[in-house]
Amino acid sequence: MRLLLFLLTLLSPVLALAGHRMDMDSMVMNENPVNLPEGCPKIAGDKTITVKAGRKFAGNFPGAVFAYDQQSWDIPPCTRLTIRFINKDHIRHQFMVHGLPEKTYPQGMFTIEVSGPGEESASLILPPSKKTYLVHCDIAQHTEHGMKAQLKVAGGDRDLASLPGLTRPARPDTYPTRWTVSSVFLLLLALAGGGLLVWLLRWLWQSMISE
Amino acid sequence: MKYLRILAYSLGIALSLSTAWLLFPGERSEAGLLAPATLKWVPDIEDTEDFCPFEHPEWRKAQTIEGVEISESPICRPDNPYLVASVVKGTNNVTMPTLMKTRLAMDAVVKENDLDGDGDPDVIHIKLEVAELNGSSPDGDFLIPGYPIAPGLMPGIWVFVPKLRGMATIDAVSTQAPEILRAPSPPIRVEQGDTVYLTLENTHYLPHTIHLHGVDHPYARADGQGNDGVPITSEKMLLPGESRTYKLHPRQTGAGIYHCHVQTDKHMLMGLQGLFIVEENRPDNWLQTFNIGAGRVRHPSRAAREKYAQEVDLHFQSLDKERYAAIQKYNDPRLVAKAMNREYDITDADEDFYLLNGKAFPYTLRDSLIVVEADQKILLHTVNGHPHSLGLHLHGHKTTAIAADGVPLQTPVTRDVQPLLPAQRLDLVLDTHNDGRHSFGPGAWLFHDHAEKSVTSDGVGPGGDLGLVVYRQYLDENGWPKLQGMDMVPFFNRQFYQKQVPVWARSGAWEIFSDTAPLPPDRLRLILSGLSLGLALGLLIALWRSGRKLP
Ligand SMILES: [Cu+2]
Ligand SMILES: [Cu+2]
Repeated sequence: MRLLLFLLTLLSPVLALAGHRMDMDSMVMNENPVNLPEGCPKIAGDKTITVKAGRKFAGNFPGAVFAYDQQSWDIPPCTRLTIRFINKDHIRHQFMVHGLPEKTYPQGMFTIEVSGPGEESASLILPPSKKTYLVHCDIAQHTEHGMKAQLKVAGGDRDLASLPGLTRPARPDTYPTRWTVSSVFLLLLALAGGGLLVWLLRWLWQSMISE
Repeated sequence: MKYLRILAYSLGIALSLSTAWLLFPGERSEAGLLAPATLKWVPDIEDTEDFCPFEHPEWRKAQTIEGVEISESPICRPDNPYLVASVVKGTNNVTMPTLMKTRLAMDAVVKENDLDGDGDPDVIHIKLEVAELNGSSPDGDFLIPGYPIAPGLMPGIWVFVPKLRGMATIDAVSTQAPEILRAPSPPIRVEQGDTVYLTLENTHYLPHTIHLHGVDHPYARADGQGNDGVPITSEKMLLPGESRTYKLHPRQTGAGIYHCHVQTDKHMLMGLQGLFIVEENRPDNWLQTFNIGAGRVRHPSRAAREKYAQEVDLHFQSLDKERYAAIQKYNDPRLVAKAMNREYDITDADEDFYLLNGKAFPYTLRDSLIVVEADQKILLHTVNGHPHSLGLHLHGHKTTAIAADGVPLQTPVTRDVQPLLPAQRLDLVLDTHNDGRHSFGPGAWLFHDHAEKSVTSDGVGPGGDLGLVVYRQYLDENGWPKLQGMDMVPFFNRQFYQKQVPVWARSGAWEIFSDTAPLPPDRLRLILSGLSLGLALGLLIALWRSGRKLP
């Protein structure tokens, strides 16, 4: 028991450093402005991005309901990145990064959650290697309805699926089809083209034989 | 001559083809002298769940957290006592370590201002969100957040949930919902005379509202904002990302409902309905504002504690495969809205899944057992969330209805089928005094809606809203009922409710009732059919060759 208490006292500064903050308006988890992730010799530089979240940012993407104002960021490795996260809705939204090195970021996560209209800022030091990290809002069905983005370090290693306006969904919806005059015209044109192709092939064949 | 030959060939081909067709082995075959053997059903380990997986057995004990007395709940999966303490004291009044053991937001239940000076807070701010369970994802073929109602069954559901913080899944890798994200929309308790601010933060991608059904509330707030939750009359629908606060000051006690009033025939039946109970005003009466998953109230009101040994919420609701199909098929809200509002037709509909406190049997055994002792009086708050009436039947007991729709009955009615109309609340007293009427004595007694289809899940029984009243001596130390009936293993197999498991697969004489081994096709027919087909082919080739030789 004593040992446990002792360990807890030892750990308490670490717990404080573990970067959890929470009040009525916002929550930050795994904030990390000081600990260098493995492979980063020093902080390469400081950068701040402003990310806005809300329904109005989905306006440009038919079928999306919630979105960020940007879907992709590319940041140099080992940068200390400060995210200023602004929530424009009257509900919660999150800026959550996944897949970070678990030694520095428990569960590989970094989270800013803003409870309603308002903003919160927090920093993290990015890992050294070329990789794409998932950014999303993990409130039930928000990722699925548009609140998804990617954070690329050093250009990233791939593009994620279903980023509004940027990449196609892995499991796309299907929509009703309706024929138009131009599609009928296109079909007729293709039909004629097919006939023409036969004629062309025949002509080719005959000219080859005659040779 | 040429035509005659072609005709003869064609006739031959036609004859042999039809013989081949006629003799081809069909879907069913006769067995001959001995019928086929019985297939023994062996449960796949991967598909078979433990009866009671649970990581916090210490939650079952009676305990005091932050000064809040929490009664024991000896069932398999009791409510999180830290959550109970948080909603009793208010998420603004508990310490951070307690709140961190829940997923509640800090402003989920804010309690303040003891206006009447009787030792309990009288201004209550409650914040709700809307969550979709088992919805589709553009990222792959899975449902998220995953919420099985029974092994292998994941119907689409919408619920009101207390305002949460953090993820909507257990952790960063899982797609499963955490315990707090579940059906039914949790029963809410406030005190008579409280000033209640009920805020809906619409986190969902479709419009919703809250209508307070049978709970005293003004039609409009003092500032003119509509307060009845009805988009036809009092207010606009609450759009995605918006928030609205309903204000009430309930003067009467009793059980009401809160439910969405947008496209009510869809939204309410998708699960946007919960009990809203106004308790008597008593001194020092700290109420359990939310009862997650309904069931036993672990911190009952003063009045309930005076009169009853236990207070239990029983929420019956049902789901229709066709109603929720759109949210699992489509992601685009326009496709969902069209399919749900215009292609689905409730007048042609039938319910498929029946839930008791958000789960179907056998999951009801995990968290909806009513554990009793002899000579107790237990208050049951029942609500019928079905689109049709319900006949609540309890084996071995006759319960007494003391209030309907929040109003005490002049003459309490004691009977063993308690009828509830749609949306009706009935307060029942379960008296475990063994007198041959109120109770027939100790046992593990079933209770269920006696409309028989509701004891099935999509027609497979036992399933649906089956629950148990279990006398203490019939409960083991892990909260599992001591039953001496059928082997439960098939019910906990994910294939069972997919109709892949014979229902009597593990009975003493399974070889009489289980599936027959399939028969191989009849050999004679197989050979003859093959021969005829070969003949037809041979004739065809011969015809073709003779045709080529002719000129
Ligand atoms: Cu969000
Ligand atoms: Cu609704």
